[in-house]
Amino acid sequence: MAPLRAGRWLAAIPMAALAIATVYPLLFTANVAMKTRHEYVLDRFAPAEGLRWDAFVTAWTSADMGRYLLNSVIVVTGAVALLLLAGSMAGFALSRLRFRGSRVLYLGCLAALFIPFQVIMVPLARTMGQAGLIDTYPGLILAYTAQFLPFTVFLMTGYYSGIPAEIVDAARIDGNSLYGVYGRIMLPLGRPALLSVGILDALFCWNDVLIALLMMPSAEHRTLMVGVTSLRGQYSADIPTFAGGVLIAAVPVLVLYLFFQRQIASGVTAGSTKG
Amino acid sequence: MTVLNEDVPIGTPPPPAGPTVVGPAGETARAADREARGRRRGKNQRFPRADRLAPYVLVAPAVLIIAGLRLYPLALGVNFSFTGDGDRNGQNVGLDNYAALFDDPLFRESMGNVGLLVLLLPVAVAVPGALATFVYLRVPGHRVYRSVYFFPAVLSPVIIGAIFNLLLAFDGPANTVLGTVGLGPVDWLGDPDVAMFAVVGVHIWATFGMGLVVFLAGFATLDTSLIDAARVDGASLPLVVRHVIVPGLARTIQFVVVTTMIGMLTSMFGLLYVMTGGGPEGSTYLPEYYIWFQQGQMSRPALASAASTVLFAVMLVVGMLQLAILRRSGRED
Repeated sequence: MAPLRAGRWLAAIPMAALAIATVYPLLFTANVAMKTRHEYVLDRFAPAEGLRWDAFVTAWTSADMGRYLLNSVIVVTGAVALLLLAGSMAGFALSRLRFRGSRVLYLGCLAALFIPFQVIMVPLARTMGQAGLIDTYPGLILAYTAQFLPFTVFLMTGYYSGIPAEIVDAARIDGNSLYGVYGRIMLPLGRPALLSVGILDALFCWNDVLIALLMMPSAEHRTLMVGVTSLRGQYSADIPTFAGGVLIAAVPVLVLYLFFQRQIASGVTAGSTKG
Repeated sequence: MTVLNEDVPIGTPPPPAGPTVVGPAGETARAADREARGRRRGKNQRFPRADRLAPYVLVAPAVLIIAGLRLYPLALGVNFSFTGDGDRNGQNVGLDNYAALFDDPLFRESMGNVGLLVLLLPVAVAVPGALATFVYLRVPGHRVYRSVYFFPAVLSPVIIGAIFNLLLAFDGPANTVLGTVGLGPVDWLGDPDVAMFAVVGVHIWATFGMGLVVFLAGFATLDTSLIDAARVDGASLPLVVRHVIVPGLARTIQFVVVTTMIGMLTSMFGLLYVMTGGGPEGSTYLPEYYIWFQQGQMSRPALASAASTVLFAVMLVVGMLQLAILRRSGRED
């Protein structure tokens, strides 16, 4: 036991160093955002002289971050709502109902899980273009829904499989139709899974840049992440404002992480130990 | 790929709706099913037609979206890669796109970088694996590490790329630190020999927390009495890892290897787009960036489709190889 205990303290040193390396880049950026341009040029590391919010205000107003934020909120909300609805309906049917073809449909969904977006982006853009959905909110919402639906269906099917069949049977005997069972029993029972999947889906959509670049080419439809990519060119001489804009885009995710870390981790690990 | 395994029960409980047997439904089973259904339709009023339709109605939105916007485009794209661009739009050109692809130094560069990623894969798996082991063994402060390490994994690659643009700038802090110990400066993102390693390094920095959390979930399923027994018997830490922890985590390791590889091949676009734009001299191109470039910037969708097909094939081959290797080594243990 003794060598192990000594080893623990030995291991703690690089681990603490790594923890600092994990957090430091963000703290550095926050510090830069508080500086004046002059301060930044003089010394990159020294703490800012005070809490200055100018960089955030400039980024918010002159870089149109507010507009981009609104676009992101619209698209992410729409996509997550659609994902949870379609995902929970399919998850319920695939896990708790027997019908011809259910296994094939489930395997089809799983297969789609392993198709990366890059592989289908060219034909998808073409199909979306023909349907007149390029550069529209519904187009991007649909693209996100298609991208993350296999994952959502997979998780919801797994979750509903753990709900005793007797509950469904009892609800049927009480006179519910299958739609009633879904709406009155499965949807409320699925809340923990819906929360976890919903947060993860929201993160995926929020963080994406490739799909948004492809589906929303015009400047006024930029999502927040696409907006961040254009900051660099806009503020190449004004690093504090650049840092402020980057942090504005990071804050919603940081808040989400602080509150829902457990749910995010459980979604990420789904399928790794069981299933 | 573990998700494809048997433990996910599908339609386990027999609902009252009918005796239909799902599964390897042979022709005979289907005939019997039809018969049963015919009988029921006449006599049994408790199960109206609406209930037999309901499962299909419930799966319809998901199935339509997935089939229409994921599976169909895959087929369309493969098909599309055999047609021409520009003047030859829509014409069948056979393998011309593939020939053009492998003639393109940029694409060859991107495939070379895929090889580099495969070589770096063990590092990307070992780092979170080792860290998770320490957290599991309750290194001082282990409670904090999990939350801290995981947090960059939730940030967008775009934000991470933007932050590291600052840190790795030629006159930036990374070189300042190197300078104080008498090294550098290194042109992290401007030197063709260095840039790809810099980007992959940032990717690993940003995602190792993901692997760590998965490893910890695996550790939670380990039988602790085995580890305790080994320790009581005087086994050293390396021995415990080699003979107790690794075999017990075979499935978790498999999961992390596959998801890490998929992540490296398909989720570095944001970093590349923000940090290097594929440069310098095309040294940081990956197939996903090449596809985007040919489709979006060069208006050569058919060529891009060919690259997509190659990327998909590469992922299939790499995935299968990894599974085969892992399965074999799992059997030896």
